Amino acid sequence: MKTASQAQPAGSPSPAVRIEAVNVSRWYGNVVAVNDVSFSLGPGITGLLGPNGAGKTTILHMMAGFLRPSKGEVRIAARPAWQNHAMYRAVGLVPEREAIYPFLTGYQFVLLNAKLYGLSDPAGATRRAIRAVDMEAAQDRRLGGYSKGMKQRLKVAAAIVHDPQILLLDEPFNGTDPAQRLQMMDHLRRMADEGRTIVFSSHILDEVERLAQSVLVIVAGRLVASGDFHAIRRLMTDRPHTFTVHSSDNRGLAVALVADESVIGVELDDEHLTVRTSQFADFTHAAPRIAKAERITLQELLPTDESLERVFSYLVKR
Amino acid sequence: MNTTVFTLTLRQFAGQRRSLLMFGLALIPVALAIIYRLGEHADQHEETANFLADVVVTAILPLVCLILGTSALGSEIEDGTAVYILAKPVPRRDIIAAKFAASVLIAAAFVVPATAVSGLIGLQGVSEEGIVTGFVIATLIGVFAYSAVFILLSVATSRALLIGLAYVFIWEGLITELFSGTRYLSIRQYCLGIADLVTTVSRQDFEANLGGVEGLVLATVVVAAALVLAVRRLEGFELTGTD
Repeated sequence: MKTASQAQPAGSPSPAVRIEAVNVSRWYGNVVAVNDVSFSLGPGITGLLGPNGAGKTTILHMMAGFLRPSKGEVRIAARPAWQNHAMYRAVGLVPEREAIYPFLTGYQFVLLNAKLYGLSDPAGATRRAIRAVDMEAAQDRRLGGYSKGMKQRLKVAAAIVHDPQILLLDEPFNGTDPAQRLQMMDHLRRMADEGRTIVFSSHILDEVERLAQSVLVIVAGRLVASGDFHAIRRLMTDRPHTFTVHSSDNRGLAVALVADESVIGVELDDEHLTVRTSQFADFTHAAPRIAKAERITLQELLPTDESLERVFSYLVKR
Repeated sequence: MNTTVFTLTLRQFAGQRRSLLMFGLALIPVALAIIYRLGEHADQHEETANFLADVVVTAILPLVCLILGTSALGSEIEDGTAVYILAKPVPRRDIIAAKFAASVLIAAAFVVPATAVSGLIGLQGVSEEGIVTGFVIATLIGVFAYSAVFILLSVATSRALLIGLAYVFIWEGLITELFSGTRYLSIRQYCLGIADLVTTVSRQDFEANLGGVEGLVLATVVVAAALVLAVRRLEGFELTGTD
């Protein structure tokens, strides 16, 4: 496993906001969904990153106390998460599934959650939570008529109505438009700045990059990297990349590029040029500069292996 | 009992097309009783008692309880909304109690009046020989027992409706009739035993294989055991994900 730095932030945060997994495995029959995963998370935003089917939801459900680990233990605030219903006073959960009670209005749904948390002023807490996700205008409409993005925001409002110390979100940005996403990200950042522990799962690198300070990368049920997101990102980008290049003079460009230190190989065929580089950022800066110096028109510069699965499989091999 | 969960469950029932289905089911014995009254009858007491046993206790009561009991929590588990009541600091026994209370209340609201009205129509408006009283008490106790069992089924398995139908029509409808030893595991027999205890009809084709006191004790045990098991199952409830 790659550990770019400690997954837990510096200092010693209160145990009340700590999430720990100790040698956790979970299997369904003969299928291993999560395999010997350990981590410790404190205040801040952590992204649970991995391709679809990697085991992110399984890990999140174990954190939320909705799955018993087959081996090991997940602890929330120093107590086992499994069958610990009292922990929900301090934990909010945004599930991935879209279904919410269609016959309730947005306000009634959040109020329902506030009452179930046993809050002393459920109506006041409901108004604050709905305001936080900017859903006041639609709060009196029935949930059955909400768009997917609106439902996501209401689900977040329901999960934060009791002002939790720990917030777990499963693919929270699914179905949200860019403006809604930014607004929700800003709110999560504010919560994290107040010392809360926020964990969200995503299979979209860009979402994690924009929001998470630390990251847990899960591939095929294994934790393959954890720690500071930017260090993990460097591991991902400083790997060999392949670009397909079209230009006005592929042969001339090949000769010029091969002399650059960021390039480790070129292949030329009738239609295009294939370039392999070990330094993603350096090459993307160098290629246009070299083409311009050689008076060659660069028509296309296309990375050919940018799928998240390839990035993850590279991390696994490392 | 958690009143928020109780109120939510009542709203779920009110908002579903299945409430229309239950209303239709409750009308069936009333309609059949009206048709029955159109003919000539030698012994309306015996025939009404048999009618209540064969139509209400055998079919309408378990079907209404099955629809409500399996959907009270089962539909939320199926569509994933259960997480909104389970990810809360609410004791699981309070959730089961609220679901049970809501199911019993609605099922009784459909079945008990249907029993009383169809019985009174069959008896031309006069409840003689304790027939209406006996069957009202029996169906009310049946509502408690069936609801508890079907709520347990919905927490224990995703095929609660199918298993419930098999229990009602295969176990109670066939096996209990063939093998008398199985009567101790039949809510229908408990109900018939209780009705038999209260009524004083001279010849009773519906006569149960169980005594009324036995039926009452067994129904109480079934309710308690089913609810305790349902709470235990819910304590260990696991959420299955797509990832």
